[in-house]
Amino acid sequence: MSATPVLSVGAPGYAVDRLVADLQATVDRKVRDGVYADARVARAEKTNLVHLRGSDDFLTFYLTCLRDAVFVDISDFEIRERRRFFGPLLVAFKQVVWKLLKFYTYRLWSQQNQVNGLVITALEGMEEQSAARIAALEKRLVELEKAAGHGRS
Amino acid sequence: MAAPDRLAFVCPRFAGEGAVGGAETLLKNLALHAAARGVAVDFLTTCAQSHYTWENTLPPGVKEMDGLTVRFFPVDDRDVGTFLRIQQSIDRGRPVSEAEELLWLRHGVNSAALLAHLDRHAAAYRAILLGPYLFGLTWFTALAHPERSLLVPCLHDEPFAKLACMKRLFAETAGCLFNAQAERELAGELFAYPDAKSRIVGMGLDPFAADPAAFAKRHGLTAPYVLYSGRREPLKGTPLICDYVHAFRERTGRDVKLVFTGSGTIDAPAALWPHILDAGFVSETEKHEAMAGAVAFIHPSVNESFGIVLLEAFLAGTPGLVHAKSRVLVSQCRAAGAGLWFRHYPDFETQLLYLLDNPEARAALGARGRDFVAREYAWPAIERKFFDALDALRPV
Repeated sequence: MSATPVLSVGAPGYAVDRLVADLQATVDRKVRDGVYADARVARAEKTNLVHLRGSDDFLTFYLTCLRDAVFVDISDFEIRERRRFFGPLLVAFKQVVWKLLKFYTYRLWSQQNQVNGLVITALEGMEEQSAARIAALEKRLVELEKAAGHGRS
Repeated sequence: MAAPDRLAFVCPRFAGEGAVGGAETLLKNLALHAAARGVAVDFLTTCAQSHYTWENTLPPGVKEMDGLTVRFFPVDDRDVGTFLRIQQSIDRGRPVSEAEELLWLRHGVNSAALLAHLDRHAAAYRAILLGPYLFGLTWFTALAHPERSLLVPCLHDEPFAKLACMKRLFAETAGCLFNAQAERELAGELFAYPDAKSRIVGMGLDPFAADPAAFAKRHGLTAPYVLYSGRREPLKGTPLICDYVHAFRERTGRDVKLVFTGSGTIDAPAALWPHILDAGFVSETEKHEAMAGAVAFIHPSVNESFGIVLLEAFLAGTPGLVHAKSRVLVSQCRAAGAGLWFRHYPDFETQLLYLLDNPEARAALGARGRDFVAREYAWPAIERKFFDALDALRPV
């Protein structure tokens, strides 16, 4: 993750559009380079997906993030307790319950991971097929337009 | 006989009586400033304070408040089940019949007593100003007196705005007072609304001075923080801020706190809670101090028609970070030259890092925002626009 400032602003009248455009261009490049292919990004986007439907590039980006997110590890979270009194005791109790249930939960977890993996693979395949089909159609359209003389300037 | 100096304002809730909301604040402030200019103002509202339950929690009757005559009317009984069933269909983009639309309006918030009051007295008012557009109360009142009804619609690009009943509301009423050019353009797209039937007014904001260090000192904050002020609910995008700030902290390792002021439940990942400060309802002074000390004011809502809190943050000298899908908030950031807009998390991360690492740029953006709001949203200018709009849309 790069934390380097992208630009510096100081000139009076500097257009904020330009600043946003420059920052977004940097982001787009980093997305292509895989900087954001990260399960944490996929999780962070869960409430924003509805707003991204119109974006051409987002599905590919999101599927990349999802690839990292689908294989969940159910042991990677910390058991917490927000109640002040008996907090450590409650945490210890929850940890014991969690350990006792492992026999059941691990079986479900491993099956769910398999399903998640298969679904994401299918989605990626469908997305690749669609993208290839659209690219072929666009190419064909350009050729037809050229042949019909519409492509001449 | 209509008096040229008599106006009625209609809004489902009255801001300040345990209720807070952008549209309510906007209508109340316009009413207050009209009253201060010598206009007799009746503010007609309901006895409800909660926009979730619409329970009658205030006593009905008349109160003189801040120079306004405020009339509280009880909310009618409603079939919440029917309302929610239809609302869910609308929300999910399923087709609903005109009869269902009317049922949805009927079982939303309504007041027969308020309508009856206007049936008796509407002719005495030069204009009735109503908003926001999506409530049954607004719809039935406006269409009962369309020739003198001016909408302050606070229009959003949302499924409710695409209903046939809303087309009728906008077509049949006398005119609209929009908050921003972007809102007017949206009405043009949705209803082919003619510019001649509307004016852009908005709301004025009084300049203030706030100590940027005061809020952090009071609450023992030693790390930089980002702020959101207002209602916390999914429609306002607050879960998105929590998810983004959580991912930001994890990915960048930067210790940035998230501060909330306002009301509602915060839906945040458990690991983020130690880094959230929920200040709840605070005084205007404390809110302004919180704004002045923030690295950025985050406004993730895509359903805004004005963005009062964003403009307040600009006045506090703090840049905004807004969702790119909110055309109104983006247009405010662009016009002010004081905010950035993000499409998704990667944009958010880059822009927040940029603001954290470039204090000069942050200060420059903040200074532009302060100048912009002081210039464009000073009350004398807004009052002029308001009375010009009245003259144009409801000439005496």
